[in-house]
Amino acid sequence: MAAASSTILKAAVSSPSTARLPPPAAAHKLFSFAPSNKKHFLPKPLSKSFSCTGTAQAADPASTTPTKVQQLHVYEINERDRGSPAYLRLSQKTVNSLGDLVPFSNKVYTGDLKKRAGITAGICILIKHEEEKKGDRYEAIYSFYLGDYGHIAVQGPYLTYEDTELAVTGGSGVFEGVYGHVKLHQIIFPFKLYYTFHLKGIPDLPAELLGQPVPPAIDVEPTPAAKSCEAGATLPNFTN
Amino acid sequence: MAAASSTILKAAVSSPSPARLPPPAAAQKLFSFTPSKKKHFLPKPLTKSFSCKAQAADPASTTPTKVQQLHVYEINERDRGSPAYLRLSQKTVNSLGDLVPFSNKVYTGDLKKRAGITAGICILIKHEEEKKGDRYEAIFSFYLGDYGHIAVQGPYLTYEDTELAVTGGSGIFKGVYGHVKLHQIIFPFKLYYTFHLKGIPDLPAELLGQPVPPAIEVEPTPAAKSCEAGATLPNFTN
Repeated sequence: MAAASSTILKAAVSSPSTARLPPPAAAHKLFSFAPSNKKHFLPKPLSKSFSCTGTAQAADPASTTPTKVQQLHVYEINERDRGSPAYLRLSQKTVNSLGDLVPFSNKVYTGDLKKRAGITAGICILIKHEEEKKGDRYEAIYSFYLGDYGHIAVQGPYLTYEDTELAVTGGSGVFEGVYGHVKLHQIIFPFKLYYTFHLKGIPDLPAELLGQPVPPAIDVEPTPAAKSCEAGATLPNFTN
Repeated sequence: MAAASSTILKAAVSSPSPARLPPPAAAQKLFSFTPSKKKHFLPKPLTKSFSCKAQAADPASTTPTKVQQLHVYEINERDRGSPAYLRLSQKTVNSLGDLVPFSNKVYTGDLKKRAGITAGICILIKHEEEKKGDRYEAIFSFYLGDYGHIAVQGPYLTYEDTELAVTGGSGIFKGVYGHVKLHQIIFPFKLYYTFHLKGIPDLPAELLGQPVPPAIEVEPTPAAKSCEAGATLPNFTN
């Protein structure tokens, strides 16, 4: 059984193409992600960097649910210390194929990169390898855990070669009843991503989630205090 | 190692019962889906085929609250390597542990345009011996080209029609909520969906053509199947 189960996680290692990726030995050990080609996604300058748009729409007087849109920015960073991603090559083919599943869990920081917020947790389902785009289409189903504030659940496309928009499917805690969408921007595939949530149906978000976001760029990093999860540099009971 | 890994996808092939199913060799090669019994679902005549139902919008809010119906066909043309039946339970009968990622083609309800694809996963929950079928939890999305996507979650029963939750969307479907009725025409190749969508602006006309009532022999137009110009949604998902 041990021999059989080890084949499930048979790694298909492809050599990283750029210096920013971990050395091959570490890559092999930490994850079996086998993208067809790794690209740096050039950061898109943020034309809007405000932390909250009270793009108010008239609240329905008959309902107590506010209908304004609130923007929330977070960074998702794979620091390669959570065993993630776990590329399960269940298709048993040499190229990424339908059947491959990729559970993952990375760290989440607030948009201002000053506080460790929590984690992402979920799964990417390989749908199709896109040869012309030198990348893959996944269906991603996962949650953002933000400590005592609760979580936001999302579902939608993850394309290794371009930014996408996912559906916000629900949430808990301060995010109970949330709906909307989230824009996924890859800074460095697959290690650093920047998300802009457009959230409706919830009360005003707490200020500590709405600090001035750091515009996404290849070299942005959380503050050392946030990385070390020092007191004052995390959300209350940040998820880990 | 190779021998061990081949057991993971060990196919338990049952012989198909009706003539409409692909020949056994093709069935085994293309997918290891092993339903306990395959049935043709007799098409239900559509009593309502209009495309849009209006309810009073809330005058104080800019978010419409009317229900819009959207009809699409999902067709497995067996050219996407789908479904991928992962028999992770390692049991001979379909059992909890088995996972079925899938991706099929989507056409507009009038069958005149290729719309895009479905993409997601079915999680085998329980084999229902008395019903000669299986219960899955399905989590997937409908991709409709430049219009965006609709995310759904809910039950998929191989032996009867079900209703799934619409959990969200993107593009013109941003903020959508509602439900969708799944009708199986031919398990597991041809399905007909009726979405009841709320919370979004009026859908574009090309999604709202007069739907073709579901029946065993219905097919997309040749132009739609070949994705000819004018017979697809803009940048249809593939």
